[in-house]
Amino acid sequence: MTIRAIVADDSRVMRQIVIRTLRQAGYDWEVREASDGAEALEAVRADEPDVVLSDWNMPNMTGIDLLRALRSAGFGTPFGFVTSEGSPEMRATAEAAGALFLIAKPFTPESFREVIEPVLA
Amino acid sequence: MTTTVAHDQVHAIAQEVFAAMVDGDLGLLLPWEGELPALDDALVAWVDLFGDWSGRAVLVTAEGTAQELTRALMGLHPDEPVERADLEDAFGEIANVVGGNLKALLPNPGTLGLPRIGSDLPPLEGAVRALHLPLSWRGRLFVVDVWVTTAAGSTTEGAS
Repeated sequence: MTIRAIVADDSRVMRQIVIRTLRQAGYDWEVREASDGAEALEAVRADEPDVVLSDWNMPNMTGIDLLRALRSAGFGTPFGFVTSEGSPEMRATAEAAGALFLIAKPFTPESFREVIEPVLA
Repeated sequence: MTTTVAHDQVHAIAQEVFAAMVDGDLGLLLPWEGELPALDDALVAWVDLFGDWSGRAVLVTAEGTAQELTRALMGLHPDEPVERADLEDAFGEIANVVGGNLKALLPNPGTLGLPRIGSDLPPLEGAVRALHLPLSWRGRLFVVDVWVTTAAGSTTEGAS
């Protein structure tokens, strides 16, 4: 079964890099793109995916606000961050809000596999 | 508070960003040797950091170099044209990743602003340039600067 994902990032270039890296990591997922948290929230409401990969720092709605909004609305969609900020504090905040993982930028296909494999494969 | 961010740490961040996102090789971003050339068509990307340690991470390079970086990031062919929006997006995202990793070095990280792009760096009130790191990417000048607001602390330059 093909995994259906939403990749949320305000950078179009970074969304492309995330999608390319997923393929390089061996994940032939069906991906929809969202340019901020609000757009991702609407996309989940319209058609819930199997997983959301989200940037943290975005205009309109941040990634952590997106995750909290999803959980408040009753969506338990598996959720991971792909963010330039990987401090212990942010990892703890992400985990407390229900994120499965946090991938810090810059990343490689190997770093994708290391965190995604245990939780999704 | 006083926070030290050394040349070596920032160089290591930049190398890691380029290795993962651009080159696939750690050895292509080296210290710049010799006189710094004037950049007639400079492009500047920056992100501001707010908190106990406030300041700005800044990247400066020639527009042509930023175009090459954009091609590398997007997997474009060398002769493919680069849209202005993609150029700004890609160069800003490199600044964002450098800024995010710089923030991770700080003991009490605050928040990170969104990346900005311009031909000049707008002033940041009360800030001084605390670190100036001219690098060579494939022989092209690529500068990483760190500015810090004097009220928040100081940044000193370590051995390079």
